[in-house]
Amino acid sequence: MRAHEFMRRDLTSVELDTTVAHVIYLLHQSGLASLPVVDEDGRVVGIISERDLIRALLPGYVDMLHSTAFLPSLDQLGRKLREIGGKRIAEFMVREVIAARPDDTDLHLADLMIRKGLKQIPVLDDENRLVGVVRRIDLLHRLQR
Amino acid sequence: MILTVTLNPTLDKFYWVDALPLSLDQPEEAILIRATKSLTSAGGKGINVSTVLACHGVETVALGFLAGHTGQIILQDLLSRGVTANFVWMPGENRTNVTVIAKGREYHPLLIHEEGPPVSEEAMGIFLRKYERMVRRAEYVVLGGAIPLGCHPDCYRTLVHIAHAAGARVVVHAGGEPLAHTIAEGPFLVKPDVRAELQLGGMPVRTAEEIVCAGKKAVEQGVGACLISHHVTGDILVTRDGVWEFEARVPLTTFKNLVGADDALVGGLLVALLRGEGLVEAVRYGMAAAVATAEIEEKLCGDEAAIRRELDQVAVRQRGEG
Repeated sequence: MRAHEFMRRDLTSVELDTTVAHVIYLLHQSGLASLPVVDEDGRVVGIISERDLIRALLPGYVDMLHSTAFLPSLDQLGRKLREIGGKRIAEFMVREVIAARPDDTDLHLADLMIRKGLKQIPVLDDENRLVGVVRRIDLLHRLQR
Repeated sequence: MILTVTLNPTLDKFYWVDALPLSLDQPEEAILIRATKSLTSAGGKGINVSTVLACHGVETVALGFLAGHTGQIILQDLLSRGVTANFVWMPGENRTNVTVIAKGREYHPLLIHEEGPPVSEEAMGIFLRKYERMVRRAEYVVLGGAIPLGCHPDCYRTLVHIAHAAGARVVVHAGGEPLAHTIAEGPFLVKPDVRAELQLGGMPVRTAEEIVCAGKKAVEQGVGACLISHHVTGDILVTRDGVWEFEARVPLTTFKNLVGADDALVGGLLVALLRGEGLVEAVRYGMAAAVATAEIEEKLCGDEAAIRRELDQVAVRQRGEG
């Protein structure tokens, strides 16, 4: 089966100058784990995920040590979040977009998700415009049928 | 691709009951009405048009504002029906519109409509940028329904202007002031919503003669075509080339649910236009879609075979005065 046959046709996305606070609001509202970032022509130029936002909040040593054991409390993260809440998402997004095409197979998408550890993959047309998204649960739901 | 705009989406909730009380004026007692059946679906004029289009395999993207848990249900319902969704999320809760249909009184349902959440300037700004991006890919744009609190009354005029600049044709499926503001922009077709006020551009549209008069004035002012419902089974189309009357020869007793029939008409006519049919024949197909929709309990009929069966019932006559 091809991506366009089972992708979620939800084009929820953000722009480069969308604030961090608004992205958190949108992720919460939409129930998505990440959002495509689009330019003025609607082309996907980045992805912002829960993981990218968490990484932006954590002190650098956490990434280095692969541990949060030295974090005194979550208050520090809350303060940091308030500091960056008004900043543009362009500062925090990942610019290397791992995406699928509408004609890609379900097997190809599953392979991408497993190899890259992705919760969802945007589906783009020939001009890199968003046409849908495939989540892990969409694949599982499809397999169950 | 056809882009539809629903600034004030709704969750449509339908209840079928055996009977409604003759009077609700009994303050001493609660009134319990048991529903024999209920249905829920995403709604609002633009959304309904998108649903009809998706059923016909036409690529369509629905735009507008979603809010709260109701917004999430609306989104899930739309996605499950094959409509591509590109909404702006905002605080609050989308409205729920309730329709109570009593046995034997299907064409006089009881309607309870909520107002919907207000739209902030910030949310409108996000919407406009989305709209500008999407309209470049659209062949037709449908602007549907009432304008929510917070939106300027002439915002449909802005949307028509942007669509024209992008080379798209616009169908305005709305009523009152929002529609009146768009006329100067010369949209491709207007389908006035005359449920609330029987007027178009300040002119009454109660009789066939009044409809023709108001339609001709709108066309003189730049509108490509004006399509107005005359009564439950009749519509009048006014263009520069003439005036056509459409009549569906079906008894009212066959109707089970009239909500959505108007939107099926617009969706159906767009399907036919995309197939290359002329406007008059397209309206005829739209009317067949509206009749097929009214004859089922589900809000919208997307079954092409059922629509084609109704085509023979829709008569078209060009009015003599041209």
